[in-house]
Amino acid sequence: MKNNGRLDISRNTRSGNLWPWCFAAGLLLCLCSATARAQLSIEIIGGGGDQIPITVLPLADEEAFPQRISQIVSADLTRSGRFKLQDIGSVRPLPSEPNEVNYRYWKNRGTQTLVIGRVVQRTDGKVEVRFRLLDTSKEAQAVGYAYTVVTSQMRAIAHKIADVIYEKLTGEAGVFSTRIAYVARFPQRYELHVADADGANSQFILAHNEPIISPAWSPDGTRIAYVSFEQHRSIVFVHNLVDGTRRVLAAYEGINSAPAWAPDSKKLAIALSKDGISQIYMIDADGTDPTRLTNSGAIDTEPSFSPDGKYILFTSDRGGTPQIYRMSVTGSNVERMTFEGSYNVTPRYSPDGKSFAFIQRMQGRYSLALMDLATRQTQILTDTQLDGSPAFAPNGRLILYASIVGGRGILAAVSSDGRIKQRITSSAQDVREPAWGPLAANR
Amino acid sequence: MKRVLIALCAALLVAGCGSKGSTTQGKAAIEQRDVSTPTTDQQAAEEAAKQARIAQEQEQLKQQVEEQKRRQEEAARQAAADAEKPVVKPLADTSMTGKALADPASMLKDPSSPLSKRSIYYDFDAYNIKEEYAHMVEAHGKFLLEHKDMKVRIEGNCDERGSREYNLALGQRRADSVKKAMTLLGVPAKQIQTVSFGAEKPKSPGHDEEAWAENRRSDIVYVGVDAQK
Repeated sequence: MKNNGRLDISRNTRSGNLWPWCFAAGLLLCLCSATARAQLSIEIIGGGGDQIPITVLPLADEEAFPQRISQIVSADLTRSGRFKLQDIGSVRPLPSEPNEVNYRYWKNRGTQTLVIGRVVQRTDGKVEVRFRLLDTSKEAQAVGYAYTVVTSQMRAIAHKIADVIYEKLTGEAGVFSTRIAYVARFPQRYELHVADADGANSQFILAHNEPIISPAWSPDGTRIAYVSFEQHRSIVFVHNLVDGTRRVLAAYEGINSAPAWAPDSKKLAIALSKDGISQIYMIDADGTDPTRLTNSGAIDTEPSFSPDGKYILFTSDRGGTPQIYRMSVTGSNVERMTFEGSYNVTPRYSPDGKSFAFIQRMQGRYSLALMDLATRQTQILTDTQLDGSPAFAPNGRLILYASIVGGRGILAAVSSDGRIKQRITSSAQDVREPAWGPLAANR
Repeated sequence: MKRVLIALCAALLVAGCGSKGSTTQGKAAIEQRDVSTPTTDQQAAEEAAKQARIAQEQEQLKQQVEEQKRRQEEAARQAAADAEKPVVKPLADTSMTGKALADPASMLKDPSSPLSKRSIYYDFDAYNIKEEYAHMVEAHGKFLLEHKDMKVRIEGNCDERGSREYNLALGQRRADSVKKAMTLLGVPAKQIQTVSFGAEKPKSPGHDEEAWAENRRSDIVYVGVDAQK
């Protein structure tokens, strides 16, 4: 599949209200779908640079199953922008084991990396998915696994295979098995969705007719904190994805907002105006013991923890305009980070803690920007008008964000070097407020 | 006034038609007698009487037409005079120094009162109450002072640009600044509730300066009087 190709990942999923115990089953991905009203479509609108050529052959007998493993793997690798998927040649039958591979043929075609495999239906009803990544120049296997799963997990296994290939060839963690959350808006209805990283299996965990903003995944992936206006004011909830229950985290007078999880998933930083103006507080994940961290008399909001848990970036207008500041996790040593322009907001630490994404207004445009913490240099990553809500992929490679295109809210993603761009649209009137979940815990 | 004029004209028209009808009937009666009474003396006498009646009827008709004309002119003069006359209607007491003149709910709806205005508009990223809204905010403050049983909810809103979270905090600041202006007048804080909807409940759905200006707004909502949004 070429760049600029449109990957319509919407598909029919089996109906049935099965999802609450899907999470309980501890799956990486929820494979059944209660509602699919807001399925996402991902379009790659820019590819970049040094793409790794790879040939992914159809796995033998995969066509007998509803999930075509090789197609899902190919789509994942293409969407990352880091691979150039090559055609599958003309050798038939397709090899599925290393001893069937004519290495000379593939080398002559310029194929360095070849993925082969087989899907076997077992007598116990489970499926064995075997795949191997072959290095044609060494005529050897780089990596290979066999997974035995129930058929409903085949899509998850395809993402897992893509993660293994990605990690082997780039040296970085793949994020194909992760999940995202976002808000879909329909006329008179808001839905908080959780979906696979490729937009598939999207289903809502909360729906009502009042706004929902600022979803935030706990670093352990079990909970999502968010702000809901269902009681006609902003209240922070923590929603447990394992058992589907939720509890109020903060419902003080005034605003309760901007939840950000500490790396240990035990505490959150939030913005409260209970003592006057919006200030940043630390609060236990069970909603007890809010401790005030800032004392500025100006708006302080949008905390973001450094991955080591030592610092918090936040937005404040204490200097007259909203700018980004950094403080220690106890609230001391406040330092202003942004100086260019009169509107810099929504800081988000990168997963490696070396940079942060934020929204910068320049010439009336609200663009996604990235500041390198060592050099303090800022790079503008997008060319759209009204960007907001950046969310790093857990490997730091892509930044998901919200934008408005043609009067509709869309999600988009850009690589942290600005070269790869994706646009994600939905059947919903608007999609917004993306949040990217953590890497699967069992990696 | 206009209605009265129309009614008057309609009445005159009906009257006019009525008199015309009776004249025609009169003529028909005379012709009938011509045919049925052939005697000469009687004929002469009756002819003279007939002529006299006709003359009388014509005179009456002429007077009626003149009367009609006179009334129409009078009505036109009256209409012209009315148009120049100042329109007078009662005003609500906005000074609020004395006792309330009307029930509170209708005072809040009187379009001539600043109390009927409920929205304060802002510049981008600003929360200060501009001069043009100070009088209106003050009127609401004084109204609340006069009506201790009334409560307001001040709803702060922002345009969609920039950060949702920063806008939520800014909307709260906008609502709080209106509350502060009222409490400075002596309104007890317990009468004033504030809430921020940030950029989440735009009144205008557009993505241009006109929509944004409409959405940078605080609304004063009287609890139990105004409809819940």
